[in-house]
Amino acid sequence: MSETIIILIKVVCALVWFLLITLYLTWVERKESAVIQDRIGANRASILGIRIIGLFQPFADAIKMIFKEDFTPRFSRRFLHNLAPFISFFFVAITISAIPFGDVLRIGGQEIKLQVMDINVGLLFVLAMLSLGIYGIILSGWSSNNRYALIGGMRGAAQLISYEVALGLSLIGLIMVYPSLNLSTIVHYQGELLFGWLPKWGVFLQPLGLLIFFFAALAETKRIPFDLPEGENEIVGFFTEYSGLKWGLFMMTDFMEVLIVSTLLTTLFFGGWQVPWLAADGFHFPWGSEWLLPHGIVVIFQVAAFNIKVFFFCWLQILIRWTYPRFRYDQVMDLGWKLLIPLSLANIVATAILLSI
Amino acid sequence: MIKALGYFLEIIRGSIITTRHFVVNMHFHFMKLFRIKTKRKGAVTIQYPEEKREIATRHRSLHRLMTNKDGKPRCVACMLCVTVCPSECIYVEAAEDPDLEVQKYPSTFIIDLSRCCFCGFCVEACPEDAIRMDTGQIEFAEYSREDLIYNLEKLIG
Amino acid sequence: MIKIFIDEKAIEVEKSTTILKAAEQAGIDIPHLCYHPAFPPEGTCRMCLVEIEGLPSLELACSTQVKDGMKVSTKSERVIEARKGVLEFLLAEHPPDCPICDKAGECSLQDYYEEYGQFENQFNEFKEKREKKVKIGKNLIRDMERCILCRRCVRFLKEVTKTQELGVFERGIHSEINILDGVLVDNNYSGNLAEICPVGAMTDSDFRFKTRTWFLKKGESICPLCSRGCSIFIEYHEGFSRFTLPKRVYRIRSRENHKVNGFWICDIGRYGYSYIDENRIDKIIVNNKEGGETITWEKMVILLAEKIKRLYYIKKTSRIALILNTWLSNEELFLINKIFRNDLSVENIYFTDPPEGEEDDLLLTSERSPNKRGAREIGLDLKPINLETLADKTDLLLIFGSFMFDQFNLAEIKSALDNIKMKIIFATHSNEMNSLVDIVLPMSLIAEKEGSLTNVDGIVQRFSPVLMAQGECQPEWKVLVNLAKELEINFRYYSQFSSPEAILDEMGKKISFFEKKSE
Ligand code: SF4
Ligand code: SF4
Ligand code: SF4
Ligand code: SF4
Ligand code: FES
Repeated sequence: MSETIIILIKVVCALVWFLLITLYLTWVERKESAVIQDRIGANRASILGIRIIGLFQPFADAIKMIFKEDFTPRFSRRFLHNLAPFISFFFVAITISAIPFGDVLRIGGQEIKLQVMDINVGLLFVLAMLSLGIYGIILSGWSSNNRYALIGGMRGAAQLISYEVALGLSLIGLIMVYPSLNLSTIVHYQGELLFGWLPKWGVFLQPLGLLIFFFAALAETKRIPFDLPEGENEIVGFFTEYSGLKWGLFMMTDFMEVLIVSTLLTTLFFGGWQVPWLAADGFHFPWGSEWLLPHGIVVIFQVAAFNIKVFFFCWLQILIRWTYPRFRYDQVMDLGWKLLIPLSLANIVATAILLSI
Repeated sequence: MIKALGYFLEIIRGSIITTRHFVVNMHFHFMKLFRIKTKRKGAVTIQYPEEKREIATRHRSLHRLMTNKDGKPRCVACMLCVTVCPSECIYVEAAEDPDLEVQKYPSTFIIDLSRCCFCGFCVEACPEDAIRMDTGQIEFAEYSREDLIYNLEKLIG
Repeated sequence: MIKIFIDEKAIEVEKSTTILKAAEQAGIDIPHLCYHPAFPPEGTCRMCLVEIEGLPSLELACSTQVKDGMKVSTKSERVIEARKGVLEFLLAEHPPDCPICDKAGECSLQDYYEEYGQFENQFNEFKEKREKKVKIGKNLIRDMERCILCRRCVRFLKEVTKTQELGVFERGIHSEINILDGVLVDNNYSGNLAEICPVGAMTDSDFRFKTRTWFLKKGESICPLCSRGCSIFIEYHEGFSRFTLPKRVYRIRSRENHKVNGFWICDIGRYGYSYIDENRIDKIIVNNKEGGETITWEKMVILLAEKIKRLYYIKKTSRIALILNTWLSNEELFLINKIFRNDLSVENIYFTDPPEGEEDDLLLTSERSPNKRGAREIGLDLKPINLETLADKTDLLLIFGSFMFDQFNLAEIKSALDNIKMKIIFATHSNEMNSLVDIVLPMSLIAEKEGSLTNVDGIVQRFSPVLMAQGECQPEWKVLVNLAKELEINFRYYSQFSSPEAILDEMGKKISFFEKKSE
């Protein structure tokens, strides 16, 4: 019984965290782009005249989206048309369940893992769910019965499938280094030290893998510079025929992908919830000194570290989106097939050789 | 390969530029947040309804009709503005003025601002300097198109 | 025939022509203000100065006759200098009124000044103040500041109407065109004065300030208000995209046609144009059905044809009656004659026309409809209506126009029409008549359709549409042709009539009067 309640609480907490951050990512994106471009950005949404630098903006957006006309084109496949955004949304949202937010939390003799599901093949699960998101794109493009949306959907599918390969291959080296597919195990491995002082994070063991993974993941999020499937202003994309809340779902999916990529980067390459030299009972610095902390504080440190890392990568992705121009389609394909995949293969070989030595 | 490397360097340079902007602007924003006076501002945006930019003297804004000393419109209903208006948004009806010295006066003078493109041709064409676009008024949005049809009283007013 | 040279162009002209006329034949324009082709030259404005080889001074082109071998130059420096000088003097007392002047846009003085203007003011004196609005005729307002004393108006009243109401009074700078003892210019041709005045000194109070001349488009037409059929220009405003104008036609002006009306038209035709825009109907109205049901022209014609066919097959076409008028064109009358008299042997064809008026010895005739002669030549006899017999003998009545009102009052017409089963009116305007009948069909006016009219002297004049027909309005000839085709009595014959021109050709073959007259 208490098991179920705990799981329920975990699910709710994870989902709320996930959705809230996604919601605010929309605002952060607008603010960050504004700051980069010497503007002020969304700051006018107010409740009773209170503005607080526009923090209510996401709610204003949400209200607007709800009350906008939900238009379904006359000749579209109505059912699939309505289904597509939910598919996209669902498969991205579900990945969060495999991400470890922290180590175990002990309350009243109960051990609670700060992770919704601790699956053995967590990494595979995440990759699988991310690739299922393609269906949302293809379906939306096809069911709109608009040739441009269809072409946009095709572009999206082609791009995602291409980068799926590089994404998977780039992680093989990682799996070789931390011999596990279980995400929490991978994080635990990253708590060890190299040469006695350097945390054994993925970024130090697999720098090339990180780069490849990062590029491929950026492509997976379908944002600039890889936004060929949708291309907000110039090329017509797969959700052209969507409006109102359904369009909002696509938009949310976009930001959720940003968040998921950040959490994956954190978990796989930046030690997840690990803080350097922080063990379960406190800090053990390499120069010999110690700083022992109670369990609760340690957990807070861990969760905070995880969050800070995730936010940093979200910020980085938004920075990238507001810095680079879009690739041409052939450049996208070249980058995927001719650069990233060979590199990731080379990475596997190099890792294997290094490991065997 | 070298090309790819060069590309990579450029990418990094690009992100350094945007990061620099971000950091510098954030710095000024925080200074402002803590009420520390700085020479520069973090953003160039003007917060429109609260802050307003000064309108240049030659700016073409809402039309007005000039009046004579006796308060009658200076317009002589020559319809030259009607003729020159590229958007066909002025309509004038002339009437015989009871004054023997004066020929005609505009009994109706309508400008449909929903169509006006603010080219200022009407001002140039007017032989009497009866119409001007120097009110400095640029906020006259309305909820219906009909309210944008200005008649004689509204234009003089 | 003698040979002269104008601007080094050799031309052959009649012996006693003037240089101005000769130049006109050669297509060379010599500026002139006081000269009007209708009157002998007067030589008051001095605008037409030209240089003649061998003569020391410049000569007036309007009044100098040509001589064999004469060498005239109209564009030499001296001539242009002279024109500038003349204009400067004309404008010495002329106000810069163009923006508020009704003539602007068609003013000769304005045009010439554009071309030969002396744009720098060399006068120190103020201009003389004169009266700017004086009513001197029933539709005329005179502005003495603008007058250039060309005396065209005086000459018109002396030579054309012979009424001589106007004269030049006072002298020098104070000379003015005026009436004697306050007797207004009030004859049936006074409207022409505003037209021939080369400047805006004489304005027409009907047109005054209504619009500006450059907004108007003009189309050639024929005046239908008397049987003279004067040639006219209908000047109309195409409207603005955002604003609706009160009317389309703003004025009627005369069109030069020496076979019919020369240079002039009368005031009845000039000012009687309001019928074109006022009170028009533009929809088919069916009266006996309650709801405002709409019916298309195709269905309407079929319905009408059915009615007539039914009577035709039971040999009861004698129960059909027609009331025509002579505002119908030759073609339409011919079609009616052909369909109803020849094919259906309908005998009850009556005419109603506007009542006759007074004629004068210039243009106006007593017949106040345009095509009486045409109806007679076609062979229709202009039988007047007898309301009682009409009511007794008729089942189906087709009425064209509502001139019945001029002869009978409403009650009489109502009681007569009440006995008739089916009444259809081909109407252009909405009036009480329309509520007495079962179906009202909207018709185009002469200004909106094509056809021809025969004037009182037997001249057949063709006219073409100037204005667009409004709404569902159709010309009668089209309805008649469609009806005839629908009757299926002589389908092949009627289907050749795709335009009034084709009908007129056919008339030329059938009726000797119309042979070769389709001008
Ligand atoms: S500003 Fe231009 S468009 Fe507007 S009323 Fe004047 S002439 Fe017309
Ligand atoms: S141009 Fe000037 S004087 Fe003429 S109608 Fe327009 S506002 Fe009046
Ligand atoms: S008469 Fe001609 S020149 Fe004189 S004010 Fe009128 S338009 Fe202008
Ligand atoms: S009123 Fe006109 S026509 Fe008569 S003299 Fe003067 S300018 Fe000539
Ligand atoms: S036209 Fe010859 S003097 Fe006036």
